[in-house]
Amino acid sequence: MNLMSIIITVFAGSLLTAWVSRFGRLQAAWVAGLITLAALAQLLPMVPSVFAGNTHIEHWAWFPSVGLDLSFRLDGLAMLFALLILGIGLLIVLYARYYLSARDCMGRFYSYLLMFMGAMLGIALSENVIQLLIFWELTSLTSFLLISYWQDREEARQGARMALAITGAGGLALLGGLIMLGQIAGSYELSVILNSGDQIRAHPLYVPMLVLVLLGAFTKSAQFPFHFWLPNAMAAPTPVSAYLHSATMVKAGVFLLARLFPALSGTPEWSYLVGGAGLMTLLVGAVFALFKHDLKGLLAYSTISHLGLITLLFAIGTPLAAVAGVFHIINHAIFKASLFMAAGIIDHEAGSRDMRKLNGLWKYMPHTAMLAMVASAAMAGVPLLNGFLSKEMFFAEAASAGSHLKLGWLLPAAVTIAGIFAVAYSVRFIHDVFYNGEPIDLPKTPHEPPRWMKLPVELLVALCLLVGILPQATVQPLLEIASAGVLQTTPPDFDLAIWHGVNIALIMSVVALVGGGLVYAMRLPLFRLHDEHLAPRLQAKAVFDHIMSALFRFASALTRALDTGSLQRMLVLFFAGALVLGVGGFLMGGGPLSGNRAMLPLDPLSLMAALILIFGTLAVVMSHRQRFTALILIGVVGLVVSLIFVKFSGPDLALTQLSVEVVTIVLLLLALYFLPQSHSAESPRWRRARDLVVALLAGTGAALLSWAVLSRPFTSISDYFLANSVPGGGGSNVVNVILVDFRGFDTLGEITVLALAALGIFAMLERIYLPGPDADAQGRPWNWDKHPAVMASFARLLLPLALMVSVFIFLRGHNLPGGGFIAGLVTAVALIMQYLANGEEWTQDRLPANTHPMLAMGLLIATLTGLGSWLFGYPFLTSSFGHFHLPFIGEFELATAMAFDLGVYLVVVGSVLLILIYLGLMHGASHRPASGKEDYR
Amino acid sequence: MLDIIISILILIGAGFTFVGSLGLARLKDFYTRLHGPTKATTLGVGSLLIASALYFSHTGPGISLHEVLITLFLFITAPVSAHLLAKAALHLRLHSQAPVPEEDKVGNRD
Repeated sequence: MNLMSIIITVFAGSLLTAWVSRFGRLQAAWVAGLITLAALAQLLPMVPSVFAGNTHIEHWAWFPSVGLDLSFRLDGLAMLFALLILGIGLLIVLYARYYLSARDCMGRFYSYLLMFMGAMLGIALSENVIQLLIFWELTSLTSFLLISYWQDREEARQGARMALAITGAGGLALLGGLIMLGQIAGSYELSVILNSGDQIRAHPLYVPMLVLVLLGAFTKSAQFPFHFWLPNAMAAPTPVSAYLHSATMVKAGVFLLARLFPALSGTPEWSYLVGGAGLMTLLVGAVFALFKHDLKGLLAYSTISHLGLITLLFAIGTPLAAVAGVFHIINHAIFKASLFMAAGIIDHEAGSRDMRKLNGLWKYMPHTAMLAMVASAAMAGVPLLNGFLSKEMFFAEAASAGSHLKLGWLLPAAVTIAGIFAVAYSVRFIHDVFYNGEPIDLPKTPHEPPRWMKLPVELLVALCLLVGILPQATVQPLLEIASAGVLQTTPPDFDLAIWHGVNIALIMSVVALVGGGLVYAMRLPLFRLHDEHLAPRLQAKAVFDHIMSALFRFASALTRALDTGSLQRMLVLFFAGALVLGVGGFLMGGGPLSGNRAMLPLDPLSLMAALILIFGTLAVVMSHRQRFTALILIGVVGLVVSLIFVKFSGPDLALTQLSVEVVTIVLLLLALYFLPQSHSAESPRWRRARDLVVALLAGTGAALLSWAVLSRPFTSISDYFLANSVPGGGGSNVVNVILVDFRGFDTLGEITVLALAALGIFAMLERIYLPGPDADAQGRPWNWDKHPAVMASFARLLLPLALMVSVFIFLRGHNLPGGGFIAGLVTAVALIMQYLANGEEWTQDRLPANTHPMLAMGLLIATLTGLGSWLFGYPFLTSSFGHFHLPFIGEFELATAMAFDLGVYLVVVGSVLLILIYLGLMHGASHRPASGKEDYR
Repeated sequence: MLDIIISILILIGAGFTFVGSLGLARLKDFYTRLHGPTKATTLGVGSLLIASALYFSHTGPGISLHEVLITLFLFITAPVSAHLLAKAALHLRLHSQAPVPEEDKVGNRD
């Protein structure tokens, strides 16, 4: 049992869920439920040990050199969140099975839900803060998918986009904050960070770091002024809202505040920033909740308000306030999840969420009404329910915090006003929906939901009552251990009694209850006031849309200004920019241009190669109007370059250059086919002069740069590679060992980019049919014989030979020039040859044009080879090798790097084939040869 | 003895390569010029390859077979490219110095 396997279970379960949904609608729900139970079953055995006060930390080395490791942590706080995420998640799975209609795709829903659950668990259980951030961003992405689940609805798409924009931007700020935090504390591990609070608070970078971290937490937890994404996210299916806005997503922000509480809290900056945002959010949310006619809108603003309450508690900063904050996290998760589910039931069975239409539902669904009323009373803070206890603690903390400040009475007063509005909107939820006359033209006649749909609500409401009546017997131990996790010490003594005697908190509660009733009684004039004066002026969504469209306008104006679609212009800008930066940097650096290294004697071979290069390049420029001549001349330049590589002992580079050259020529030939045959007018004289000047300057700059580098004595890390290639990587071809072993991770990244580029090109070319010319520049039609028999049959003969060469190059790659990349290019050229010689129909019968599986296999093999070293306890991509002996073949060497190289090989073959084949197919579809056979004379 | 054989082979190879290049530069029309490079690739490069095979078989640990493969590749590719070039020239109706054959002798080619 370990913590990582819990998260892996959930993520793997997400894929499984998507897969099983093809066997029937409900299978996905069953599997999702079982996966959640499996995750819970792995977590529960660890619970007793956490209650005994232990902190589990698991650690896998990942990138130890940059402080990024896979590490997981289970202490009281993490356990509380993991239990909430999985427990409420399980209820949501059950509820959603009845909520989703027959039109909705179950597999997609549950798959997203589990992905989101896994990401949330990752946040709760992370020990490394960078790893925490990765999961944090994953929750932003997966919540985007969940909110936009009903993709055909515009408000769902807009709400999801807004949530992603706000929380994504916050995530970016958080990344900056966490990196600064890690640098200040000297480690990205929470155990170190939590113990170096004094050092962090005294650091000069404390304030900027705090602001960035808080931006992340506030955007996620919908704190004012970033609160507006949450009501717009209500376009999601109700189970999603119930999950995201009770126990998960928005709680991630307050979780972060709680998690970093010992490291960051206790400064005036913390109190004012966090307290200011929390208080504003508390008030704004509570007041606006009353004016929402949509059931879910009311709950959304109430969620915002409660999140502000929790934030404010952490801002107060005393240990007891932190305990109250944790307690309210639990209570809010319980009653808000049940309220959202009740709202969903009402919406489902009555067909509307508008409280102006929904009236008098008590008669139609008394059971649901009862549940909703209890949960709503818990939200209002009525005694004997869980909300009352934490709210009482909150009032007491606010009152005692206010007593230390100048104008301190304002804090308890503001908090009481928020309490009054909280009672008012809770009363509205109960009275408007279940009493208040008869329903007004509802689309359906309301009735009770299916039995099992109510079960999650019943369980949660029962918890509200249990915690509210018997707090010491139920929630006290969990609260103690979770608070210990927050504070990282023993929590202060607190008394979870229902009756503390008459004190200031009780008076505030009574004022809130009575005042809330009064405000509700005066609701009609208040609604009018709101509609006439407040609503038109406070349109957060309009402001957001305005900012977004201004941003889009700015971005497209900037793009238009820089990119006019002209390649020449882009190149001029690029070279001019590089020149300015290069010359400026050199002049500011102030070093001499020339170094003091002794010159090598000039040998005639190099001189000749250089002269050919120069003439070849000049000839390319001169002959740019005769494209095929220019192409051949480019080939000459490429061949000479590869000969130069041979001369300067770079056989690998020479081989690569040769094979790349061939592929490039094929590519250019395919592309040239679509360009106009006759050249358009020559550019104006001034433009050619400008281009000449820029080209000369850039060329001179590059030459001077090479001169400056090459004339200096230069010690690089190549000596290390040369010395360690055989003992460390088991290969005497240093270039290949660097590629597959020393810098294997770079190579993995590169082949991923290559595969993505190939897929991108495929996506662009897939259905394009460009009209190609049907005659050459002089108007002569193409030859009728597209695939001459001599060429076709000899190309078939050549294929096995070429493949043999590529296998040879591949196998010897570890010790002699060669390797997966070159072998891949050779194979790709050999296969492309078949297309050129035999035509697409013949070749596609034998070789599928779709090389996606090959790309996937290549990436998979490369990644699995890297992961394989974990099994033996080594860091990612450690290679091992050994020498073996077989009869007849003799001694040979096997290295795991060869498996990695195989991945490289497959990706190269797949990418090159995919690009060239689809470029050619676009061509083939339009290539109409002159019909009939032609007389030669 | 071996040195002399290898030297002679290299000289033959170089000579044919030179003659091939000279032909490419000097001959009058496309079709005759096509002969030059084919001589260079077959006899010229062939002799050089035999020389290389002899030399490396003598100095190396075993018989050097790379050259056989190169020969094979050349023998497959050189005629094909020459064929394609000639075909393209015919298609483009390039002028030939040879006299036009008489109609009845050639028949109706397709």
